[in-house]
Amino acid sequence: MIVTVTTRSGRELIKGGLELNDSATVADLQEAIHKRTKKYYPSRQRLTLPIPSGSKEKPTVLNYKKSLKEYADGNTNNLTVVFKDLGPQVKYSTLFFFEYLGPLILYPIFYYYPVYQFFGYKGERVMYPVQTYAMYYWCFHYFKRIMETFFVHRFSHATSPLSNVFRNCLYYWSFGAWIAYYVNHPLYTPVNDLQMKIGLGFGVVCQISNLYCHILLRNLRGSDASGGYQIPRGFLFNIVTCANYTTEIYQWLGFNVATQTVAGYIFMVVAASIMTNWALAKHRRLKKLFDGKEGRPKYPRRWVILPPFL
Amino acid sequence: MAGIFSSLRRLYLVIYNWTVFLGWLQVLYLAVKTLKESGPESVYAAVEKPLILAQSAAIIEILHSLIGMVRSPVTATLPQVGSRLYVTWGILYSFPEVRSHFLVGSLVMSWSITEIIRYSFFGFKEAFGFAPKWLLWLRYSTFLVMYPVGISSEVGLIYKALPYLRESGKYSIRMPNKWNFSFDYYYNALLVLGFYVPGSPHLYGYMLGQRKKALARAKTD
Repeated sequence: MIVTVTTRSGRELIKGGLELNDSATVADLQEAIHKRTKKYYPSRQRLTLPIPSGSKEKPTVLNYKKSLKEYADGNTNNLTVVFKDLGPQVKYSTLFFFEYLGPLILYPIFYYYPVYQFFGYKGERVMYPVQTYAMYYWCFHYFKRIMETFFVHRFSHATSPLSNVFRNCLYYWSFGAWIAYYVNHPLYTPVNDLQMKIGLGFGVVCQISNLYCHILLRNLRGSDASGGYQIPRGFLFNIVTCANYTTEIYQWLGFNVATQTVAGYIFMVVAASIMTNWALAKHRRLKKLFDGKEGRPKYPRRWVILPPFL
Repeated sequence: MAGIFSSLRRLYLVIYNWTVFLGWLQVLYLAVKTLKESGPESVYAAVEKPLILAQSAAIIEILHSLIGMVRSPVTATLPQVGSRLYVTWGILYSFPEVRSHFLVGSLVMSWSITEIIRYSFFGFKEAFGFAPKWLLWLRYSTFLVMYPVGISSEVGLIYKALPYLRESGKYSIRMPNKWNFSFDYYYNALLVLGFYVPGSPHLYGYMLGQRKKALARAKTD
């Protein structure tokens, strides 16, 4: 089979096309493109079928596991695919690791080191117990997230664009430093003992539930990493579609109840709105996929992300 | 129903645009008069009320693009209007110390000329469905000079106000407080100045693109 690879502007990326045997898969094609172009390794490539000019439909993206024949539409001799360079890619675990490493390192710096001298505060700083607990709570949270990244999560996409690393690190690192600045401030005002205990207690329960949610999600995806969608079940997933986000948001609520900073609440609201967007999309997708028609199971009635509100 | 609604919308926009136009016309008239009779140091006192009114009316413009009443995206309107409101309320109104600076003269001149052209352009388009060619040309050409003048006046005035912002501590919130929050109006101003660095060339480039599109369309019509 001769595969012609063009760019989106219609230029031929590889002169003369590529000769592949009839049983070749999309992955084989990607390897062949990589070999010829050197620069574009498979995860950098997005291959689609050409769309008729003027058509507003979204092009079909080629799945690397499928055979090329499935896209050839009966014509086994020729196939034209459109190539798009997605830019440099990094593994998802790398992206997550660097996102979480910032807050994990920055927060203790504000706790342990006399950084407030640079902001004009001289003299000794007396730490309240809540500030110490908050530091351990914070570090446990990000340590847990890094561990989950390497040992629990299964990613539906293998890679992410390199530019996301810079964007996401800016988000996590600056929010982390901003919150740490206030919680460890020499002029920090703590809440009463009971409020602190309720906040931290609730937060710890949510963090542990969050870990359990992640383990359930991992098992849902199965070891074959098929990437196919399934109805999330078990534990809190019987009530909420995205229980993993719910527990994540509520554990920040616990942290904020205990530490009471405006910065922490702002971070929580921003994070919650980002996760709500993802959750709405996932909920919609699951409801569409499991519509209860033609033998497909019906998606049960559930909260989306934030019971008892949404 | 749709017909009534769209006529009402047009009528409303016609009234809105021409009213704000009149406001800016008054600002320009008073500014020119004061510049001729005394000098740039008395411009603010002469234009204060109509300037604040006309500039604050632009808040409604953000609402217009938010609810989709006009086509311009809110991401284009918000930073432009936001920076103007900041200079009007947050600097000139709040810190009388800078009002007599000569940059107020160039600031008010460039703002009012730009806005007179812009509001009359939209006023024409909403009222008659088209704007005269010369007005279209003015709308997409005067910014070439007016933007740099306006932006440098804005930046200059913020810079001149910095010592007063710092000294007075106005609008700043200090620790300790129950909600463990602080806000420093002085550092906020430095941040705003920082945003002008990438923001100004971006806006200028955006307008150059608009100019190219609009003038090319006018030629083919």
